[in-house]
Amino acid sequence: MKTTGPLLLLIEDDPQLRTLLTTALESQDYSVLAVAGGRDGLAAARNRQPSVLILDLGLPDIDGQDVIRRLRTWSGLPIIVLSARDQESDITQALDNGADDYLTKPFSTAELMSRIKALLRRVAKLPGGGAQECFQVDELKIELTRRRVFVGEREVHLTPIEFRLLCVLARNAGFVVTHRQLLEKVWGAAYIEHSHYLRIYMGQLRHKIETDPARPHYLLTEAGVGYRLNTGEN
Amino acid sequence: MKSISQSTEKSSDRQLSEYPNIYWLWGIAFPLLLTLIDWPFRDMLTSGNILMVYLLGVFLMAIRLGLWPSILASLTSAAAFAFFFAPPIFSFAIADQENLVGLAVMLVVGIVTSNLAENVLYQARIAKHREQRVSSLYRLSKELAEACSEQEIIEIGVRHIHAEFGACNTLLFPDSNGLVRYPDAPPSAISLQAAELGVARWVFNHGQMLDNSTGALPGAATVYIPLIGSTGTVGVLALESVNPRRIFLPEQRQLLDAFIDQIIHALEKSSLAEQAKDATLKMQAESLRNSLLSSISHDLRTPLATIVCAASTLETDTGQLDEDRKRKLAGAISEEAQRMSDLTTKILEMARLEAGEVVLNRQWYAPEEIIGSALRRLDKKLKSRQVNVVMPDGQALIYVDAVLLQQVIVNLLDNADKYSPPGLPIDISVETAPFGLSIAVEDSGLGIPEHLQEKIFDKFFRIYAESAQSGVGLGLSICRAIVEAHGGKIHATNRNIGGAVFQLYLPVLEAAPTIDSEEKG
Repeated sequence: MKTTGPLLLLIEDDPQLRTLLTTALESQDYSVLAVAGGRDGLAAARNRQPSVLILDLGLPDIDGQDVIRRLRTWSGLPIIVLSARDQESDITQALDNGADDYLTKPFSTAELMSRIKALLRRVAKLPGGGAQECFQVDELKIELTRRRVFVGEREVHLTPIEFRLLCVLARNAGFVVTHRQLLEKVWGAAYIEHSHYLRIYMGQLRHKIETDPARPHYLLTEAGVGYRLNTGEN
Repeated sequence: MKSISQSTEKSSDRQLSEYPNIYWLWGIAFPLLLTLIDWPFRDMLTSGNILMVYLLGVFLMAIRLGLWPSILASLTSAAAFAFFFAPPIFSFAIADQENLVGLAVMLVVGIVTSNLAENVLYQARIAKHREQRVSSLYRLSKELAEACSEQEIIEIGVRHIHAEFGACNTLLFPDSNGLVRYPDAPPSAISLQAAELGVARWVFNHGQMLDNSTGALPGAATVYIPLIGSTGTVGVLALESVNPRRIFLPEQRQLLDAFIDQIIHALEKSSLAEQAKDATLKMQAESLRNSLLSSISHDLRTPLATIVCAASTLETDTGQLDEDRKRKLAGAISEEAQRMSDLTTKILEMARLEAGEVVLNRQWYAPEEIIGSALRRLDKKLKSRQVNVVMPDGQALIYVDAVLLQQVIVNLLDNADKYSPPGLPIDISVETAPFGLSIAVEDSGLGIPEHLQEKIFDKFFRIYAESAQSGVGLGLSICRAIVEAHGGKIHATNRNIGGAVFQLYLPVLEAAPTIDSEEKG
């Protein structure tokens, strides 16, 4: 079957899973280029210009983290990381290195499809990284340039830091942003170790935005990794 | 007191230099005092009576001061009698034959009496020492009988040897390689710290005592005595002989040997008890491993059977199955695989926790957030249920590993969902407790029978063993392991209105960090 959709690069060393994922992705009209090792993967990423990279972290030749780091030196190619290890530190490290999203094994193909779609949509939405004017999900509306936030009809008054925090999450809506990335972008590099700032402000923000802060609808926690602004898709 | 009894220990023939000077002074002064008392009555008393008074003095001296001072007293008495009482007065010459005989008799009687008194005193002292030794041995054995660990036995042994022999000492034992090494316990004031391992090892290997008097090791002021038990040398006693006599007198040496025997005996008894305990523990571990294997094999094989069965049906299908049936089979595979995945995750998690491999990644978190993310993970399961969350006002942060604590809450909520009728609410409440924080998860199910409220935290324990809804029996053990790794406690009770309550307490050991207030702008 010859497919014409966007090209996906899959780096996965387990042959069974590689075949299975290729089949599943091709059945959704993607073109798939599957390789077993990190070196082959990096070469393919340079030569074939894929739209999304799906990367297994545990590779036989070079470490998955290294693949991300090397790739990020010359490419903004969206990366989804697959991790068999449920160690949050691995995932956090991959995200901090520049991966865009992650899935832990075992995962369903439906989940993988929705992540790929979200990434492709984000790439399409950002023509050269142009700033978005307005962000809306369900009742929550953020006017990025006018610095105003509404929940339904009610305007919510945020402090400058709360607003910056919400903005960073909104710009990456649907994707997890790690603690480190948030601390760096909102407070600055000097605050990377002061994670309690993030917790306190996130709590304040939830109390202002969420109907039930203990069961948040918009500002979701990815335990041990970071936060994700819900886009209603996952 | 001790030093007197110690120095009189040796015998009747003690050295002249050992008597204090004051004794010699008494030996001269007391007869002169008697002379002074007798002097006014010299006309009324016969010389025989006066000699009797002197004899009494010598006798008293013998009882109080010992042999040689009393002999000095007899000589002084003889001289005083010759000078003051036997005519011619104020001259040592004695004219009277009768006085001369009396004086000679007094001298002989005095000296013999002194000897007798000294012997009686000596016997009394010996008896007293014997009694002291027996009672010190008794005290040692009584304390050793109450000791429950090897460490305690050693501590008691060192203390008693120090008290009885006045010698700093230490008991050295071999490690697993059979090499004598220094004790692990921190040294006390009375333990000997200058023991040489090389010497101790030689003594241990040869089973022979070594001390500086044997000349084998010049400069070593320490005695090394092997502790020889029923199965060979078990250790070495090193002691510093400040006062060698206290250790090497035959009686003292016997006592030391008795002490050592007692200590060895206690050690052997304790090691036997230890071995018995080890054997019991091993048996328990064995039975746990068996229950683990049978539990795991049952819990993993059941979903595997479904998967293999469904997958092979699909594989061998030649077109008889319609779309709907195929989807059902695929659905069964996916569902059972998910169940297996959950089980393996739990088993691996428990194994990691048990192996002590888990390093807590502690950070400051708001409890609200952890409960929120736990609730979100169970979103689908808890859809048809009301979950009430009660939080205290304000944002207290706790210093925890958020991923692990979230796992605890997830497991508790999962249990509450599994074991209470559908539709009934689950209550989560967070309260600040003294020096900590307590989180309770309450359901409206059947509750937990009182006698099982401790047992449900055991690995692979399930109240309803083979029921379809129960998992592998690890959820609560994982909870306990995580909470205890945080220094907290978890326990189960029943609520008054029915249903189980799982309450966990997490200590807060330091004040939460503060943040700079934000400049408004």
